[in-house]
Amino acid sequence: MSKRLSQVLQESGISLGFQAGGSAPEEVADREVKREPCPRANKLRDLYYQALSSATNEFPYWYTRQYMELDNEVPAVRRALSLKCAFSHLTPVILPGELIAMGKAHYYRGSFPMPWLSEGYYMAKEDELYKAALAKGSASADEVSKFGSGGGNVTGNFGNVISIAGKFGIRREEMPALLKVARAWVGKSVDDLGHKYEQMVPGYEIKEAIMKSVVCMFDSGYTLPQGREVINYYYLLQYGFDGLIEMAKQKKDQVAGRPDGDGIVGMNRLYNYEAAIHILEGIQIWILNYAKEARRLEAMEKDPIQKREYQDIAQCLEWISRHSPRTFREATQLCWTIHIAVLNEDAISGLSPGRLGQVLWPWFEQDIEAGRTSEEEVIELLECLRVKFTCIDCFASMGVVGGVLSGNTFNNLSLGGLTQDGTSACNRLEELIIEAATNCVTTQPTLSVLFDDRLPEPFLLKAVECVKTGTGYPAFVNNRVAIEFLMNQYGEEGMKLDEARAIAIGGCLETSPCSWMPLSLEGKEYLIPGGSGQPTSVGVHFISLPKILELVLFDGVDQRTGQRVFPAHGQTLETYEELFGQVKAYFARAVEVLALTNNIQHDIWRKNSVPIFNSLLKPDCLENGHLINELGYRYNATYNVETCGTANLINSLAALKRIVYHNKEQTLDELKEALKVNFGFKEAAEVGSFSLADQEKKEGVDEYDRLHFLCLTAPKYGNDDPFVDRILKEWEDWFCGMCHDYESLNAKPYYACQISVSTHAPMGAATIATPDGRLSGTTFADASMSAYPGTDRNGPYALFTSATCWDHCKSQNSQMNMKIHPSAIRGITGSRKLLELTRSYMRRGGFHIQYNIVDSRVLREAQRNPDQYRDLVVRVAGFTQYWVEIGKPIQDEVIARTEYEGV
Amino acid sequence: MEQEFTHLDCRNYAPVDVAKGICHVKKEIVLADGESCESFEKLPKCKFCKNYAPGEGEYIGTCEASKTRPMTYPDLIGVTCDFFAWQEN
Repeated sequence: MSKRLSQVLQESGISLGFQAGGSAPEEVADREVKREPCPRANKLRDLYYQALSSATNEFPYWYTRQYMELDNEVPAVRRALSLKCAFSHLTPVILPGELIAMGKAHYYRGSFPMPWLSEGYYMAKEDELYKAALAKGSASADEVSKFGSGGGNVTGNFGNVISIAGKFGIRREEMPALLKVARAWVGKSVDDLGHKYEQMVPGYEIKEAIMKSVVCMFDSGYTLPQGREVINYYYLLQYGFDGLIEMAKQKKDQVAGRPDGDGIVGMNRLYNYEAAIHILEGIQIWILNYAKEARRLEAMEKDPIQKREYQDIAQCLEWISRHSPRTFREATQLCWTIHIAVLNEDAISGLSPGRLGQVLWPWFEQDIEAGRTSEEEVIELLECLRVKFTCIDCFASMGVVGGVLSGNTFNNLSLGGLTQDGTSACNRLEELIIEAATNCVTTQPTLSVLFDDRLPEPFLLKAVECVKTGTGYPAFVNNRVAIEFLMNQYGEEGMKLDEARAIAIGGCLETSPCSWMPLSLEGKEYLIPGGSGQPTSVGVHFISLPKILELVLFDGVDQRTGQRVFPAHGQTLETYEELFGQVKAYFARAVEVLALTNNIQHDIWRKNSVPIFNSLLKPDCLENGHLINELGYRYNATYNVETCGTANLINSLAALKRIVYHNKEQTLDELKEALKVNFGFKEAAEVGSFSLADQEKKEGVDEYDRLHFLCLTAPKYGNDDPFVDRILKEWEDWFCGMCHDYESLNAKPYYACQISVSTHAPMGAATIATPDGRLSGTTFADASMSAYPGTDRNGPYALFTSATCWDHCKSQNSQMNMKIHPSAIRGITGSRKLLELTRSYMRRGGFHIQYNIVDSRVLREAQRNPDQYRDLVVRVAGFTQYWVEIGKPIQDEVIARTEYEGV
Repeated sequence: MEQEFTHLDCRNYAPVDVAKGICHVKKEIVLADGESCESFEKLPKCKFCKNYAPGEGEYIGTCEASKTRPMTYPDLIGVTCDFFAWQEN
């Protein structure tokens, strides 16, 4: 029988136990804090557990039908009318017990494809459209990505249900029409048109090879062109739909026929305001359709309580369809409606509600003061809102939804931070938001505390208590570091300190520019924060750093596919400096070609698929009459370069430097040979596990054992070892600086972004063994500042020292995940320890930390018996997800993470 | 022969997902493809609309209410469609 790596190492006296700071107690430990939501939210959450991800053709059908009838209309107006048609034809469904109504589609977890963006990826694999997507590299990531097989994922056909894109179910009777709608977009979608023009970029063939080899994960321009941003609810909260329509009409009168000194896009303002009116009217009709449905249900309902609830829903929707909200409930419903309207307008992941507790504060404060509501009612509503957010599904390809997102949608709610004048911004409503999230554990919205030493201790301890439920939220984000990044990146567009303090996190961990908006309610004035920037994580997504190293070692040829990716560099790599220099050269070449091609794709997107509703919500589009495509937003320097596999790259460079260049224990050729044959181990896919420890040796192949041992025991990141930390610092300083050399389509500099999301699984699957001893096909280290599983042996503070050897303000983010055994932080003493640990990392300048409070044995048991763990959630990398909906490569990686038994 | 309807064709059926939904009358979860019951009330769908004309294959037709006669499909729900009109039979 084949030996596992863990056995091989044990025989050599090395432990791969993945525990640090002690040993786990013998008995499996559950989480200390466990709560229950209110009965209503519990029932709605149970329904969610039973619901399948379901797709419908309704929205794409009506959008396409209208769009094709509007040939030659001005693009923004054509799009607005098509969106209006689609919104106003959505079937309204309200389920018994719901307090907050409306959804993306008529299914509980409903979503739909947007073939005007891309139409090939959800076809059957035999279909020529799917084959075409594979040929140009846009579906390659799909081939190495995996979904979890449980929960609501529809991974196979059954009955009258067809599985599409490996996750979503669609009714058989809808499928032919869906395909017909998709085919109407062949040659017209953003994907197809973008591809036509991106081929004109010199060196395009490198881009295609990069995508086919999964050196880069995906193109954002036609997959998820928006998101990773903070929404802005302000204008509709303050003025209501009628108010905004009236405002747009007045603006139309002011700008019609007048360029006002702008001969290029000044005239467009008329069409943009016209488009704004159409989309606002479309969403009004959509809301009123739900109100009508509530009235219908009210009329037929026999139960007086339920009857009253339908009546309340109808009244609430009828009011907010026209006016600004009067109560906390109306304001909450309106925010939810705006949120899903934006999500229906475009393919989006990571649309964050921002600092929702501060946005809704005026209504909360006044309702509580007037006795119109109670804190119990507010908590119930917030718990119901959590279930609604968790029902959001994002329809995209297997590579994107499975490989990048793990099925998550990243609606990140920020808490705390500072006010405009620099004092703590947290409030009582934010405490109730934490309370609701502790009671009603769901994946959305995830929470992030904008950590500042000025935040009160009780608030922070409340956040820690929530972490102890094992939800993985809230994450802690360094407010000071984020503000410094914003000032650097958006200073040229006018960002000042007081405005930078409005910061919130967009998507899982993207620092996003926001602004303070003056809100008036019942004669009282407030400043509420809201997003004011374009999507902050679009552009070059994600570059696999270990794969770049593989290509350097093998002169530009992908060892998995045998295909050439980069032109041969021809270097002998005789020195470490030459090697590192070539890593930078290949990386820079990849960024260059990907930035150029992505600029084109995003340009086609903004020309033909411009977001109108989301644009008019963001300052200062309504005032200046320009949408996102004409840089109407206050902040537009939002494109980035994302990377994956930082720890594996750094560890590999350290191993090469030590073994090959310093100690000269093996030659580079000998090491390359060992990498090619995977150090004598089987492929991870063959083993069926993607964790290093589980990998199995091929029988009778022992000649690479010594070298593998050297690689595994070479210095590793995360141990306060200057030998490795110097490599990390050199990499970070160079990488964060070089991004500014590339210009986005908005003529602004790119910046660095360092989160893995789930890409470390498919990108690991596409990469052979690496010099740090990692084996072929196994998952990379998560995040960017997390250590590789089992290699951080000197405790958390050593890890923090390594992680903060560079200035995190230079990057949009960095990411650190830590797994802690529940027994290590028991009781109030344990809570204070966890808070001190967090504080320590923040004070050293670390940007972000999040915790999995779990006994790894529970995860192993859940992997064996998934049916018994439908509600188990874990933190992956910037998001919390249901265990059963995560693919096995990520499950294996989360299990393998170092478990801290003491902090 | 009288046409057989499933829950999917019923106005009282609130879909939860592609396989099941909640019956607003009985307040219980029912299967989408389950046979309709005595509370059945026909849901406006293209296949029940007098403007619907069958087209190529079982699942594609056209909407005759629009001048351009666009493609449509029998199970498209029509509760929000201004063109919807019940077939006379």
